[in-house]
Amino acid sequence: MPKPTPLLPESDAREAALFFVVAALCFLAVLATLTARGTYTAARAWSAQVEGEMTVRLSDTDRRGAEEAATIIRGMSGVRSADVLSQEDLERLLEPSFGPGGIPAGVPMPLLIAVETAPNSVTTALAITNALTAQGFNAVAESHADYAAEARSALGTLRVAAIGIVVLLTATAIAVIAFATHAALLARKDIVDVLHLAGAEDRFIAQLFERRFWTLGLKAGAAGSVAALAATALIIFSAQSSASQNQLLPQLSLDFWDLVILAVTPIAAGLAARLAAGGTVNHALKAVL
Amino acid sequence: MNRFNPDMTGEPAVELNAVSLRYDTADEVLSDVNIRLRPGSFTFLTGASGAGKSSLLKLIYLAHAPTRGEVRLFGQSTGMLKRRQLSALRRRIGVVFQDFRLLEHLTSFENVALPLRVLGQKPEQYRDEVADLLRWVGLGERMHALPQSLSGGEQQRLSIARALINKPNLLVADEPTGNVDPEMGKRIFRLFVELNRRLNTTIIIATHDLGLIREFEAPVLRLQHGLIVQDVEHQPA
Ligand SMILES: Nc1ncnc2c1ncn2[C@@H]1O[C@H](COP(=O)(O)OP(=O)(O)OP(=O)(O)O)[C@@H](O)[C@H]1O
Ligand SMILES: [Mg+2]
Repeated sequence: MPKPTPLLPESDAREAALFFVVAALCFLAVLATLTARGTYTAARAWSAQVEGEMTVRLSDTDRRGAEEAATIIRGMSGVRSADVLSQEDLERLLEPSFGPGGIPAGVPMPLLIAVETAPNSVTTALAITNALTAQGFNAVAESHADYAAEARSALGTLRVAAIGIVVLLTATAIAVIAFATHAALLARKDIVDVLHLAGAEDRFIAQLFERRFWTLGLKAGAAGSVAALAATALIIFSAQSSASQNQLLPQLSLDFWDLVILAVTPIAAGLAARLAAGGTVNHALKAVL
Repeated sequence: MNRFNPDMTGEPAVELNAVSLRYDTADEVLSDVNIRLRPGSFTFLTGASGAGKSSLLKLIYLAHAPTRGEVRLFGQSTGMLKRRQLSALRRRIGVVFQDFRLLEHLTSFENVALPLRVLGQKPEQYRDEVADLLRWVGLGERMHALPQSLSGGEQQRLSIARALINKPNLLVADEPTGNVDPEMGKRIFRLFVELNRRLNTTIIIATHDLGLIREFEAPVLRLQHGLIVQDVEHQPA
């Protein structure tokens, strides 16, 4: 005995359009989530790395004075290392600004001391500045974490924005599906009426639409998810192959949770579609006897 | 007592008490209609086009609620029932719609099987039953045809088969012979009579085929502008 024909006719052009819309929304939602997560993770790793790093800038002194200052700093509690940057270090640091040709002669070169402190050290940038000033140096110490804090707050905003975008996309998808179910319900009113008058309960009729839209959401979500995966892979690939920008771009990569997001998206889309369809049908049926 | 009125005691299968119906804001389509159909009775409903026959039947097969009055089915007042209870009542009613309402994407076989699928039955359970009924209405050769490839009369018989597959306690037929020649009309009516006798199904048929009404000499309800003007069944003998 062959399987009975579905009570709702097979998909039509309207469903193809809906498939595209849901897939596109899922694509955007996944891409927004992955990008936000990647950026945030990379930034966190970077700020953790610069935690405890400081730079001391000295003026009105020479290299010997700088070495003295470094010795004073090394003597402070919690300081792991303090090194005067050599000419080569400076050139390497400033290469992006001056190019590989080196620093032109005549450009005044600052004297810099790179300081590293233990985590949670009591020695702050301010403490170093004060200690050196007390010894007659004209010095300013800056903690790298201060820059990181700024970057982190910007990234916090980015994260909120990303969550907002995902919520908005999800709500849009649900609204679109509810709208489409309504249209489908009107288009299939003949079938719904006959089933209703044959004694089908609301749940039975709602299930027909729920099943149809669950499948549609699942497939569209999978399509969008796969497309987002491909797009992310492309971004990672192009970021890694253009070496000069490597340090500026966030280190995008796919971790376990990204893969979970990719896998969960189709299910979430299917459930959302099912929910929207079921709600719409039940609501519409309440209007008839 | 004639052969169409077997059960004179018990609760009526259908009872309309002071029922009126108004669609939207238009005039009343039915006014103060009182009807009682005994279980196992066979009744004709007639009247001019637009008199309100289809509207009256819609109240009986629970497609519409009356504007005023009470519709009782099998002893239950339908206005009091929950949605699930209404669904359960509808399963006891077979309807032959004036416009057939066949599902175009389903074969004859599947259209007839529809009420059984609603009950949750599987193809293995209903296969033979549906095939037998299709043969009984003369569609044994057209089981796998889609409705649009059937003639008007064949579609009519298909919709009759769908109404009967559930062995309903009540059969409501709206112009079931409107699209067939007189010979086929007679065959269909004989089929209803057989059903009425064999399964004690309560039957109400809307028709303006006076020839058939005379031939089958069953009680007649006549509607005129929404009023019952002649009630043969309720007239003193
Ligand atoms: N859904 C509706 N909305 C508004 N008016 C309706 C509706 N259905 C029927 N009517 C009106 O109610 C009146 C009775 O219609 P109904 O279909 O019950 O008549 P009928 O006796 O079955 O006619 P026919 O013999 O042509 O089938 C008509 O005037 C019709 O226009
Ligand atoms: Mg009619």
